[in-house]
Amino acid sequence: MRYIALSILFPIAAGVYLLVRKEPKNRKVLLAMTGVFLLLSAFWAALAICLGGKGMYTLFNLTDRLPILFKIDEVSILFSVLAAVIFLCAGSFSFVYMKHEQKEKRFYGYYLIVMGVFTALCFAGNLITFYLFFELLTLSSFPLVLHNGKKESVMAALKYLFYSLSGAYLSLFGLYFVEKYGNTLTFSAGGVISEQAAAGHGGILLVTAFFMLLGFGVKAGMFPMHSWLSTAHPAAPAPASAVLSAVIVKAGVLALVRVVFYSYGVSFLRGTWVQSAWLVLTLLTIFMGSMLACREPVLKKRLAFSTISQVSYILFGLAVMNGDSIAGGLFHVLCHGFVKAALFLCAGVIIYATGKTRVEELRGIGKEMPFTMCCYTVVSLGLIGIPPMGGFISKWYLAQGALSSGIRVIGWLGPVVLLISALLTAGYLLPISVHGFLPGEDYDYGKLQKKEPPLLMRVPILVLTVLSVAMGLLPGRVLDYLQQLMEKIV
Amino acid sequence: MGGNLLTNYGEAVAMVLFVIGFMNLLLQKNLIKKIIGLNIMDSAVYLFLAEKGYINGRVVPIIVDGIQEAETYINPIPSGLVLTGIVVSVSVSALMLSLTIRLYKRYHTLDLDEISMRLRKEGL
Amino acid sequence: MDFVQNFPFFSIILSMLSGIISSVLPGKAAKWVNTAVIFISGVLSWVLLLYLMRKGESYTYMMGHFPAPWGNEIRAGVLEAGTALFFCIIMLLSLFGGRKKLEEEVDSEKHNLYYILMDLMLSSLLALVYTNDLFTAYVFVEINTIAACGLIMIRQNGRTIEAAVRYMIMSLLGSGLLLMGICMLYDLTGHLLMSNIHEQVKALASSGQYRTPLLVTIALMSVGLAIKSALFPFHAWLPDAYGYSTVSSAAVLSSLVSKGYIFLLMKIVYRVIGVTVFDDSRIIDVLFVFGLMGMIFGSLSAIRENDIRRMIAYSSVAQIGYIYMGIGMGTEAGMAASVFHILSHAATKSLLFVAAIGLTDVSKGSRKFIDLTGAAYRNKWAGVAFTVGSLSMVGVPLFSGFISKLLFAQAAVQNSGKMLPALIVLGISTILNAIYFMKTVIRIYTPVDSINNTADTAGDMVYAYKNRRSYTTALICFTILNVILGVSSQPVVDLIGQGLAMFS
Repeated sequence: MRYIALSILFPIAAGVYLLVRKEPKNRKVLLAMTGVFLLLSAFWAALAICLGGKGMYTLFNLTDRLPILFKIDEVSILFSVLAAVIFLCAGSFSFVYMKHEQKEKRFYGYYLIVMGVFTALCFAGNLITFYLFFELLTLSSFPLVLHNGKKESVMAALKYLFYSLSGAYLSLFGLYFVEKYGNTLTFSAGGVISEQAAAGHGGILLVTAFFMLLGFGVKAGMFPMHSWLSTAHPAAPAPASAVLSAVIVKAGVLALVRVVFYSYGVSFLRGTWVQSAWLVLTLLTIFMGSMLACREPVLKKRLAFSTISQVSYILFGLAVMNGDSIAGGLFHVLCHGFVKAALFLCAGVIIYATGKTRVEELRGIGKEMPFTMCCYTVVSLGLIGIPPMGGFISKWYLAQGALSSGIRVIGWLGPVVLLISALLTAGYLLPISVHGFLPGEDYDYGKLQKKEPPLLMRVPILVLTVLSVAMGLLPGRVLDYLQQLMEKIV
Repeated sequence: MGGNLLTNYGEAVAMVLFVIGFMNLLLQKNLIKKIIGLNIMDSAVYLFLAEKGYINGRVVPIIVDGIQEAETYINPIPSGLVLTGIVVSVSVSALMLSLTIRLYKRYHTLDLDEISMRLRKEGL
Repeated sequence: MDFVQNFPFFSIILSMLSGIISSVLPGKAAKWVNTAVIFISGVLSWVLLLYLMRKGESYTYMMGHFPAPWGNEIRAGVLEAGTALFFCIIMLLSLFGGRKKLEEEVDSEKHNLYYILMDLMLSSLLALVYTNDLFTAYVFVEINTIAACGLIMIRQNGRTIEAAVRYMIMSLLGSGLLLMGICMLYDLTGHLLMSNIHEQVKALASSGQYRTPLLVTIALMSVGLAIKSALFPFHAWLPDAYGYSTVSSAAVLSSLVSKGYIFLLMKIVYRVIGVTVFDDSRIIDVLFVFGLMGMIFGSLSAIRENDIRRMIAYSSVAQIGYIYMGIGMGTEAGMAASVFHILSHAATKSLLFVAAIGLTDVSKGSRKFIDLTGAAYRNKWAGVAFTVGSLSMVGVPLFSGFISKLLFAQAAVQNSGKMLPALIVLGISTILNAIYFMKTVIRIYTPVDSINNTADTAGDMVYAYKNRRSYTTALICFTILNVILGVSSQPVVDLIGQGLAMFS
């Protein structure tokens, strides 16, 4: 049990330590410390997962009925593994990348805190704990966004802060009602709403459930509160963008999983107007995100729009609320996590080596950095969903789930939108590879020079690429795991 | 209702005075007039209390002839309250007046709004 | 009778005496007397609290030799003792935090006057908390007003005198209404002691006699106290009074003075009028609505404000709105939430005022946001403390503000009629709070461009404030208090529940 506390408190304490200690004279000392802290944090999290068991661990009581408590279940493991991998990769990437940014110490400090808070979010055992760390996640990730201190970053960070806080407060309504009409606030598969208490109050409970969906959906970039994401994510330094887009956004997904499947329960929400409204919102987001990404000339922004669209794939899966679609959605959590982190790191490498940010400047980039662009292309294919890549499997399950769900219109409209969006995804990701490798007749090969990044940057990208390919080639273990989970919550 | 007002004309007057004083304190621009309003308001309350304590046909509760029955005297408590109230209102009026003097010395006006305007111009 | 039962009387009379003694003492001695008295009063209240918790019931204490219906009485229960203790703590810390500023801003020959006013303030607050007699309450309300007025204008400039005059006028309007209400209540019931009035009011209510006069009385007293505690439409005096007075005064005024009046209002609701009668009157809905409006308009004004002190002052308007909303819900839970918010707001608001002074001090004394850029780097402790206060105000878990919001929301969920407006306004106001407090926090943590940096090293005087031990200690204590209220709120909430049960 104490490993849980350790896996949460250690990174936070380490981050705070980095923030308050003096700037070390030698940069290497700082890097070494950060590296060790990151590894140790991941190690504690792993120990917590392996040895933590299925028990509950109460840290302290906020009030009599509201304990801050942690427990590890399948969903926690899924999200925390993703987080650990991406935090490590992006962390090692940042050791090189952050060299040309200022205030490195502050960056690493908050980075570690975010890691700890996210782990806590994964392990949170009841709504109030979840809410607590959800707020803390916003507050601690917010300095990452405004890192370079320019006016536009600060404004982006503020936008992020207000959207997230507003969302969190919107969802706080639900918490009060779940507390009143539920047996307990502790997450339990299948929901906690007590039928006797809720009898006659179904209407208001549905409204609050919708508020919670909207509120937590903010973090996941769900329409109509998505616009912060495309502003905030690109404003951060590349490793932070990777973490934000690949992990932090998933906090919204995790929140919705916890709300829908572990608090209100599928049986309570299935077939209600809340489900329909949610489905419509997710489909809108998928389509809109892809469209906006196609029109976006700045690479990092384009990736951020892509995140909006891709995360809503996951939400769509959750909203359909049957076994296949949820499994597909959760599978996509991993796929999208690895792929999007890799993509942002690639974008970071490009900025690091060439300083280019706009898509049209990237002609011939494949000649200059073949390794990076190869990885970029491979993971792009994964996101588009070309078999045998991971994205294909998640979309397959999503579509299958939607078709067999028996929900009118959405049942077939969903897969159609997924298909269109996949085409759009190809439309906004692949041109960069195409122009990058095939710059065309008039390209001046004379200016070309090799600009491959240092090893420390290449390895994380490679690891993420391999992982995303592996997701497609060997999905069996993960899918089995998800199937087991489905039996519990659906 | 009308009959009540006639028999309790003292209280009615007190109420009218109270409203006059209250409105003066609230709406007058001139600080001195505000203070006058304050005093009218307080006096109205004392009048009200005195009216409440007075019982027709009885005398002041001072034992002179050795009469001990309570029926002879009016209710003494309101008078005590009035005394306390007067003390309070005197001190409050004194404080207000001293503040007014200070403001007048500084700004040579008794109009509170004008003072505020000037302060804003000073940018303090 | 146990000896402990004398303690409320002791603490009131002690603080009053110390005020009298201080008038002949030099400033420094007055300071120590004042500190000692606040400390002793705190300890006395603490002992009393422990005693009452063990005993489990409240008691009344006869002043002088006249028994109940005629004489004057003090009454102490868990809630009274707890509030008194808390007031002492906040006052002590506020004074510690603002001491340096006071020495700068106030002429040295006036220091002892300041401490006299503080002593009087303490005694009147304690009396308001403990008294069982309505007319005594009125007298101490006036003493409180006079003391508060003095605390505002002890720093002599045009602004403070003007603010003091405005404060005085509004307060006098309020106390005029309160006095009228008390007189009418005396007229209706023939008593001045709260418990006796309560019985009579119950009888009147059940017999249906004097319906309108009773309603008018309740309205007069509620509105009077609402004006005095700066409930929304009556808040015009507040930003000037809190914004320009010296920092200890601002902290004490915002966190204690208005709370003393609210506490008196609660006493009137529970102990004089009775909850059921009060619930039946429309006044409670009026308070509820104005509370809600205050929550929104206070925050909106704060957002527009460009001066950090005035911004914090406006935020008080919003927070007082919260308290009235809780009272207006008319349930036990709502009242408990309000009491908790009184404590939480007192702890947070004084922290913010004290922290803000540290920040403005390292920014050449300017209170404009633009000049505060990067102030948190120049005074680290003030920056951290201000952030903590802001987070608590916004309602982030782990800080006291979150618990009070939680309690308000739980109370709202139980009250089906007022649930939706309360919850919606709570949400909106929280977001508005987030806007202006987060804006400020970001501002103070935004590093200054190195080009303008030359102007910031204006000399040692500017930085002198930063290393004051008493200041830092006060900030740390405030922060700890905030976190304690936020993390282990249950004992406090239980205490409030126990106290409210003893109340009626």
